[in-house]
Amino acid sequence: MSRDTPHRPAPALAPVAGKRPGPAPRGRPRRAPGPRARHARAAAGFLLPFLALFALCFLAPLGYALHQSLFTTERTGPLGLGGREHEVFAGLANYAHALSDDRFLAGFGRVLLFGAVQIPLMIALATGLALLLDSASARGVAFFRTAFFLPYGVPGVIASILWGFLYVPGISPLVQIAGSLGWDVDFLSRGTVLWSIANIVTWQFTGYNMLVLIAQLKAVPQELYEAARLDGASARQIARHVKLPLIRPALVLTCVFSIIGTLQLFAEPMVLRPLASAIDSGFTPNLHAYSAAFVGNNPHAAAAEAVLLALVACVLSFGFLRLVGGRGTERR
Amino acid sequence: MTSNHVPRRTVLGGAAAVAAGLALAGCGDGGDADGKGPRERKKGQRIRLTFWSWVPGIDKPVALWNRKNPEVQVTVEKVSAVNGEQYAKMHAAVKAGNPPDLGQIEFPVVPGFLLDNGLLDLAPLGASRYQDKFIGWQWQQSVFGKGIYAIPQASGPMGLFLRQDLFDRWGVRTPRTWDEYEAAAKAIRKRGAWIETFAPTNGNRFAGLAWQAGAAWYTTHGDTWRVHLDDEPTRRVADYWESLVRRGLVKTIPDRQNAWYKDLQTGAIPSWVGASWGDALLVGNAPGTKGKWRAAPLPQWKAGEQAFANWGGSTTAVFAGAHYPKDALDFAVWLNTDPESIALLIDGGYGFPSARTGYRTTDLDADKDFFGGQAYSKVFADAGAHVDTGWRWGPGVDTLYQRLGDAFTDALADGSSFRSVLTKVQRQTVADLKDKGLKVESGG
Repeated sequence: MSRDTPHRPAPALAPVAGKRPGPAPRGRPRRAPGPRARHARAAAGFLLPFLALFALCFLAPLGYALHQSLFTTERTGPLGLGGREHEVFAGLANYAHALSDDRFLAGFGRVLLFGAVQIPLMIALATGLALLLDSASARGVAFFRTAFFLPYGVPGVIASILWGFLYVPGISPLVQIAGSLGWDVDFLSRGTVLWSIANIVTWQFTGYNMLVLIAQLKAVPQELYEAARLDGASARQIARHVKLPLIRPALVLTCVFSIIGTLQLFAEPMVLRPLASAIDSGFTPNLHAYSAAFVGNNPHAAAAEAVLLALVACVLSFGFLRLVGGRGTERR
Repeated sequence: MTSNHVPRRTVLGGAAAVAAGLALAGCGDGGDADGKGPRERKKGQRIRLTFWSWVPGIDKPVALWNRKNPEVQVTVEKVSAVNGEQYAKMHAAVKAGNPPDLGQIEFPVVPGFLLDNGLLDLAPLGASRYQDKFIGWQWQQSVFGKGIYAIPQASGPMGLFLRQDLFDRWGVRTPRTWDEYEAAAKAIRKRGAWIETFAPTNGNRFAGLAWQAGAAWYTTHGDTWRVHLDDEPTRRVADYWESLVRRGLVKTIPDRQNAWYKDLQTGAIPSWVGASWGDALLVGNAPGTKGKWRAAPLPQWKAGEQAFANWGGSTTAVFAGAHYPKDALDFAVWLNTDPESIALLIDGGYGFPSARTGYRTTDLDADKDFFGGQAYSKVFADAGAHVDTGWRWGPGVDTLYQRLGDAFTDALADGSSFRSVLTKVQRQTVADLKDKGLKVESGG
């Protein structure tokens, strides 16, 4: 659940990033209104299934969450037990409640710190691997590409369980080996558990991001490399001055997906929670909303928190796009 | 070309409509194709009831029921009991309007389900005629006002499990009071082990310890709830464990998880303040220590006293909206009173029967060999007879446990006092209940 969002659209987007499908109708003479109307109808026909599903799976839940977030439950009856309950309009009370909850805000601080450290690290690693596999002297490319990508095929929950076994003292061979070397490590302590989660996420998603970058590298015309080589550029210089600038769109894309994924961090802390008392019920904003909905049994508060989370994700990803977009895609 | 467009669009639109229709049907499907609401089973009619539980071995008595009652077939669906996930699932199902017919629900969370109108009042079905079959205070755990909301299944009188071999080797006597327990903790720490873990997230056991000390977290006054989390007995318990934690005499790892099981296996933690149902847990997770364990009464605050408490304990409840409530009730009563069913439940290790009859205490010594031949169930039977039966649970215990867990976790990290945990959680709990639309006040 935690990182679902970034997965789906990417493979479709990345390969076409270089080429744009030509909008055929535009260039045609506009004499008869017939074809144009027909095309509009055709376009509508093709768009309809998408729009229907989009409305059903995206707009409707969003609207429902917004609606839920504005209400609260009131109860009557002796001691509130077995009596009637009804929903009353609460305005922004749920939002005020969420924003005054220290634990909820601390969760945001935590995922922002996580993102500030883990995303650059992961993207740098993915870029490095992509450049290595794309270099002329690379051997066993198919094997390594698959090997690096493989962790992405492991669902987040399973990955967290696997790593959980490697983190728990008394069972983990890592802790044991470190201990025998006189190094007393605790992967699940309050100070380390966030980075233990970062490790799981990096393990899972580096290969995926690498693949997106490789796809973009493959789209670079070979003549550019040839020209660079003729100009006497070394492999390192080609990577630095030709490849990196050209895969900029893919880098931006992977960064945005990672930002969204980080804010939605859920499965890893959820699975590790029983093992680590350092993970509280509001460790990440998503976990806090989950706790509100299913432990506190207060879907209204959870809806408000989810909406706030979506807002922050929106602001951060568009903010990031603006930040990098301002400088243009082609650098000098 | 035009002629091509129209059909295609129609097809697409139709497909989208079908997809939407399917999705909507998926949302609204409560599994009752034949209408809503409770009804009576016609003679000879075959029905199927669903039962959510996590009790080990529960499928065996259910299979027995199914053999004996071909017309009322019960299907067990196992739910996860980690971190209260089963209740999250049940609450979600209640909210969605498609709960199962029956569910395994522990004493502390019964009021939380009443808040949702999640449970069926069994009193109109004449459930009160079964009252005498059960231990009085356990029956009362699910009675609110005139309503009877569940059939009690088992309780969990608390006691002390310990590795007798290690205690003997280290010259540590079985502690009878909490003072002796502290001395034992020091002696054991000197041997490189820890007497216990204080798992910050285990609000359940903390409640049990407070219960033993004489706390009363929830009381009612008219139609107002009073929360007394920060009362004198609870403070005493908090101070006590804080002192053990701060001196490093206990670990603070989560309990009933792999690392803890490992410590039990190796003797790094040679004892456990547990409950009657803990025998199955030890047998299952530390099989190599067979024969070395013993059970002892919970240490007392005053020497010679007989103050005991309950940890866990659960009921079989019928969810509101069950289609055949009468049959569901019959099953719930049979499951928890029939001698054959109780025998099978005991085999599975479900706890201490709530039924008055149908078993002997010695039947409960299912793992005698593991405890070196000790008739360990007597320890828990005696404790059960002295549990302070005035204890009541209130609504929102799930949230309370979570609040306690979070606050204890913070306290362990930043060194704030356990008393401040109580003050904080007291305040939060009052606010939580208010948020739920209940009348509540802060008790002294």
